[in-house]
Amino acid sequence: MKVAHYVNQFFAGRGGEDAASLGPFRLEGAVGPGKGLGLTVSVTLACGDDYFGEHEEDALVQLLRWLAEDAPDVLVCGPSFGSGRYGYACGTLAREAARLGIPAVCGMHPESPGVLAAEGAAFIVPTDLKVTGMRDALPRMAALATRLGQGETPGPPDRDGYLPRGLRRNEIAEASGAERAIVLLLDRLRGETRTEVKVTLDDVPPPAPVTDLARATLALVTESGLVPSGNPDGLESNRAHVWLAYPLDNLASLSPTDWETVHGGYDTSVANRDPNRLVPLDAVRHLVAERRIGALHETLYTTTGNSTPMATAAMFGQEIAQRLRAAQVRAAILTGT
Amino acid sequence: MTGRPAPPLEVAAFTVHEITSGDATTLHDETLTVDEAAIEASARGEPGLLGLRVALVRPGEPVRVLNVLDAVEPVVKVDAPESTFPGALGTLTLAGTGRTSRLDGVAVLPVADLHHTYDVSTLDVYPDGDSFVDMSGPGAELTRWSATENVVLDFLCDPDAAPAEADAAIRRVTLRVARDLAMASIGSPPDDVERLDLPATRRDLPRVCVVLQVASEGPLVDTYFYGRPLRDSVPTLLDPREVLDGAITAGQYDWSGVRDPTYFLQRSSLLLELLRRHGVDVDFCGVILTLGYLPSAFDKERHAQLAAGLARQIGADAAVLTTFQTGNSHTDTMLTCRACERLGIRTVLLLAETNGGLTDHVPEAECIVSVGNEEELVAEWTPKRLLGGQLTWKDRPANDTGPVPVVSYLGSLCQLGDMRLRATSW
Repeated sequence: MKVAHYVNQFFAGRGGEDAASLGPFRLEGAVGPGKGLGLTVSVTLACGDDYFGEHEEDALVQLLRWLAEDAPDVLVCGPSFGSGRYGYACGTLAREAARLGIPAVCGMHPESPGVLAAEGAAFIVPTDLKVTGMRDALPRMAALATRLGQGETPGPPDRDGYLPRGLRRNEIAEASGAERAIVLLLDRLRGETRTEVKVTLDDVPPPAPVTDLARATLALVTESGLVPSGNPDGLESNRAHVWLAYPLDNLASLSPTDWETVHGGYDTSVANRDPNRLVPLDAVRHLVAERRIGALHETLYTTTGNSTPMATAAMFGQEIAQRLRAAQVRAAILTGT
Repeated sequence: MTGRPAPPLEVAAFTVHEITSGDATTLHDETLTVDEAAIEASARGEPGLLGLRVALVRPGEPVRVLNVLDAVEPVVKVDAPESTFPGALGTLTLAGTGRTSRLDGVAVLPVADLHHTYDVSTLDVYPDGDSFVDMSGPGAELTRWSATENVVLDFLCDPDAAPAEADAAIRRVTLRVARDLAMASIGSPPDDVERLDLPATRRDLPRVCVVLQVASEGPLVDTYFYGRPLRDSVPTLLDPREVLDGAITAGQYDWSGVRDPTYFLQRSSLLLELLRRHGVDVDFCGVILTLGYLPSAFDKERHAQLAAGLARQIGADAAVLTTFQTGNSHTDTMLTCRACERLGIRTVLLLAETNGGLTDHVPEAECIVSVGNEEELVAEWTPKRLLGGQLTWKDRPANDTGPVPVVSYLGSLCQLGDMRLRATSW
């Protein structure tokens, strides 16, 4: 099994803060903590933490090129413990390597920014905040790396010692949902609250108010499934794979003969009688005429928001936002259903 | 429950290990013989139907049953067969008392390819998704009816009829067949008798109610209560034995994995377990029937408040909240949770997940049971035989679908809690 190991400038023996701006470099064999893994490390890749943070794209290009040349069976990163910049570099490199087909294991504290940076693509072994946790971390990282390097799929996170990667997988429980519900409820009444679903909300802070709306260009964006009648582009009624853009040129309002919704998640009868209640084109035209809104961006962005996976929805949002920014749109009305 | 306790419901179980076809419907030595021709003849003349073919399928067979509308356990009111499924089929009488016989191990599965018979998109709300029962293969463990001997009623609907008319006939014939099959047990000694009693109990036990959410949105997406769709109803207090004894019947055919087939209402693990624990560690104080998938924020809040108000009125300390469908209805469940908690009623919620997400959440929902991730894909499988149609709802050959989501299997993620599926973090 061929192992590549990534460390920062300090663990590569080049120095601390003074060497943090070093660009990527490559060393044969194991270096520093890599010697304690108990694995045959064929190559050690390293980079200064500041350099990685400030030149992420360049650093990644070079590091990934070396990984492609060396073609290891597994990449081990860190452990980076509680270090923010080092953890970020480990998580980011591990994510990119994993997406190129090289399974990757990091070791870091669960609150390191590297955990989010890894985006669930890489496996993260939780470690102590401080470097004193090295002796505990290395064998656990090595064990997981060995399994991955041999092409095995790890078991559940709590059993195989890594942080959950944001997936929800089904299993057959020992008792029915009904029995589990009764037990949870009775325990709760005795003061012990447990749950099988921990809700982590995507907490979006409200943006600052638009200053001077009378000079701003406003866009209309919707997940209500609104499309031209006949649904010419075949937008799905649920689990949409696309978002669509339609011109609004000169339309005063959305006529029910020309527009309809294909959304499969709500009673569409009212909306189909007056599509302006899904996307308030009539009201916006009025406000533009009154000069309370500067201008309307003459493209409607639409999709169906119904059972859409979070990652897909986030991608749609980013892509639409890029288009809006390119068109100098400063405000948008997002109508949800 | 407050007021005078109702007399017990006795449920007599007759074990069936095998079904076979024959000239008369009989039950001998745990073998149910089914007169298929008589069942097929019984559907003649039903408005909206062109025909009915009966098929018997057994666990382990390489069969995929698709377009499964419901699953019903054969039952009959022994002392008054004409009142079985009161309102929906039988004469109106209060369900939940007297003696009911059930065929344990058998299900009646009505199937009809509504998607390829009607343009269901002309309905305001129409059912989506596949509805499979695989008798073997990787999906079999996801659905309860891969383990029952099944009488499949394969209906041919009249494309010129209104879908609602055909559906009414399908539900009527299905319940009638379920009742008539169970009639074969009359006169035989049962294998087991469950006595479901709800006497006044010790005052120091926590009073627990169930808030049972269903959806009722129009033809093909209705749930029936004593024969009428619940559509515009307000939350209603029921004795749990009414539910177990056929007061609620299914007719909501949206996403198959996250709805409640009649069978799960008849044999609700949640209600049966609470009845068993009644007087032991809980005081089961009733079922509050409410609606989810309500069309507006106002309606959702209104039902949430009224359901919580009923729970308080019956003195509940705690409530188990069930859910029907995902997405929209999660909001109904969450608002009901909040309304209960604000009245001091502790809650637990049963919810199916959509790729790790809940559509809505309130901070009061601290205690949630996961019945699984509806989007997880099930490995593809090639059945040797299809029953109930040839195409999936997306027009793929139903014996070559590729991987399909768990929600495609009938009752797989039922949020009454009848299955053992659960999602965990990976």
